[in-house]
Amino acid sequence: MTKDYKYSFSLLIIFLILCFFMNISLGSVNIPLKDVFNSLIGNPTEQDTWQHIILNYRLPKSLTAIIVGSGLGISGLLMQTLFRNPLAGPFVLGISSGASLGVALIILGSGIFSSAFASLFISKWGVTIAASLGSFIVLLAVMMVSIKVRDTMAILIIGLMFASITSAIVSVLSYFGSAEQLQQYIFWGFGSLGNLSWEDLFILCLIYSLGIILSIASIKTLNTLLLGENYAKSLGLNIKQSRLLIIAATSLLAGTITAFAGPIAFIGLAVPHITRQIFNTSSHKILLPAVFLLGAIIMLICDTIAQLPNTDYTLPINAITSLVGAPVVIWLLVRKRKMMF
Amino acid sequence: MTKTTSYLSYIRTNNLKCIFLFLIIFNCKNKPKELPTEIVHGKTITLKYAKGFSVVDYNTYKIIDIKNPWPNTEKNYRYVLINKENAAKTSFLKNEYDGIITTPIEKVVVTSTTHIPALDLLNVENTLIGFPGIDYISSEKIRQRIDDGKVKELGKNEGLNTEILLELNPDVVVGFGIDGNNRSFEIIKKSGIPVIFNGDWVENSPLAKAEWIKFFGAIFNKEKEADSIFNKIEHNYLMAKKIAKNVKIQPTILSGAMHSDVWYLPNGTSTEAQLFKDANTHYLWKDTEGSGSLKLNFESVFVKAKDADIWLNPSNYSNLEILKNANNQHAMFKAFENKTVYSFTNTTGASGGVIYYELGMTRPDIVLKDLIKICHPELLQDYEPYFFKRLE
Repeated sequence: MTKDYKYSFSLLIIFLILCFFMNISLGSVNIPLKDVFNSLIGNPTEQDTWQHIILNYRLPKSLTAIIVGSGLGISGLLMQTLFRNPLAGPFVLGISSGASLGVALIILGSGIFSSAFASLFISKWGVTIAASLGSFIVLLAVMMVSIKVRDTMAILIIGLMFASITSAIVSVLSYFGSAEQLQQYIFWGFGSLGNLSWEDLFILCLIYSLGIILSIASIKTLNTLLLGENYAKSLGLNIKQSRLLIIAATSLLAGTITAFAGPIAFIGLAVPHITRQIFNTSSHKILLPAVFLLGAIIMLICDTIAQLPNTDYTLPINAITSLVGAPVVIWLLVRKRKMMF
Repeated sequence: MTKTTSYLSYIRTNNLKCIFLFLIIFNCKNKPKELPTEIVHGKTITLKYAKGFSVVDYNTYKIIDIKNPWPNTEKNYRYVLINKENAAKTSFLKNEYDGIITTPIEKVVVTSTTHIPALDLLNVENTLIGFPGIDYISSEKIRQRIDDGKVKELGKNEGLNTEILLELNPDVVVGFGIDGNNRSFEIIKKSGIPVIFNGDWVENSPLAKAEWIKFFGAIFNKEKEADSIFNKIEHNYLMAKKIAKNVKIQPTILSGAMHSDVWYLPNGTSTEAQLFKDANTHYLWKDTEGSGSLKLNFESVFVKAKDADIWLNPSNYSNLEILKNANNQHAMFKAFENKTVYSFTNTTGASGGVIYYELGMTRPDIVLKDLIKICHPELLQDYEPYFFKRLE
């Protein structure tokens, strides 16, 4: 890491800490900064409700935002490098639509399938397990095809086709679903960061860490893959094994995040691009930690905006991520006049 | 001179008469026979609360006006109700009306469960031949007809199975619109089956919504029955309200629940809020105004309602565990800890339809009594809540 990058990284880390505190101290309820810090260090606050809001609502929400932003960003980066396509990301390759299918099957399909099937999934973990399974199955299917098909562009298109198939099945299920079921499914689709308890967060964190470890383990492979598959092969890289490792990391990260927080649009696709534009490098040694930091920062900012501080209202996080992120990418591309890839 | 003047004036008067006569004949030739509505004075059916419709009875026919059948619209609809005998003698300008309905109605299709109790109470349930989503219907009399195969399934309101409906060929379809863009209704109208819009749900008071039974009374020529049914409902409602008025302690009320990150709850001008008010409770958002429901952030709800005494209608969550699983924050409220959470979700009919959605609008008196019993248990000693149950 050159001195230059060290400087940028320290700046990003400071910015992340600032965003984290901004996210925790801003919300519908106006809590003085003194009380925010008091509740964080376990001291009593002026009002009991404030302590609960900080410790059990804002804090897990902020941590979720960091996990979601960094995890989706990294999974997007892995996909873009693996498929050597700037459009790849958890949404494009069917991970998110696979998760949607899993959730649709248990929410909307409970009326169609037997009641035993429905009751199996009525538990707290129903939606989470279904979403993870859904995304894993779709990604596995894409991976199976990728073994047969050598062209990465073809794989990308196949991923898109899988996404179309799953969304078609979701449409059919929606048609037969009751009003309440449809409502539940639509609300899941809005995405949510404030829905996780400390237990949920712990489990999410465990799987997320596993995904991050796998991603770090594939840094070398990713850098080699950038040179092209044939070149990578000539360097002695086991392409099949590498693909499997990268896809496993992606599905762990994106699948679990989608399962816990709903389909969060845009972050997975845009954060790697924003990072490349800022850092001007293609080395994953730099990109991976940078995407981690930028993903977390962007998600924290998006969540702070979605909370509409000092009002009683809140906006769906899914809409904010696109509204905030897309113009940033456009601005960066216009400024740099080319896509870094 | 005087003679000449009087002669001239005679001619002038006669000429005017001739012109008038000519005009009348001319008019008669060019227009179809129409009952002169301006001349025959109709009797307007009295409505105390409802603002969305009016019925004028002209003896041989009735005119029903529907105003603003969905929110944010100025659109009005006008229908003629005429019996078969008079219909043969009279013709109406089709373009001037949105539908000409011939009575007696022997076959009807309604599209919302809120229309079902009216058919039931007016004893015309045997006219129902089709419904979208028959599993939602809970009325025992109509369930029997469904079991006998006399009511056809028509799919969904927004995508009615037009073919089956056309084959059923009902005398009238009682529809409702959310925004006036229901293509199925257009096709049905074009095929000659009148579609009449029911806007009961747009009314903004519980009794106004209930008064729409008079709309069905007019359609089925059962005005008197509808009137006496409504009077009873109104009497019961006002009596219950009076009983609750004397209570001095108003329990604080929280309502709705979180979906995703948003807490949906009724605003202060909604019918739900009015019921809370008439039950003499302190609904914490009673001062809010606006259409639709409030969509609030968890934090603002928590600060205001953490210690609320009673939590009514926590969305469609059917027990405390499901409520907590949906969002952990739900368990942080005092009402959750004290298990004073009440919902109508668990009172269902034979095929799983929530009875409140079907009957609640027509019987606000029962809803109010339920709320009074929950919020002031010392009142209505022998009364057992009908719709609401405590969540376990």
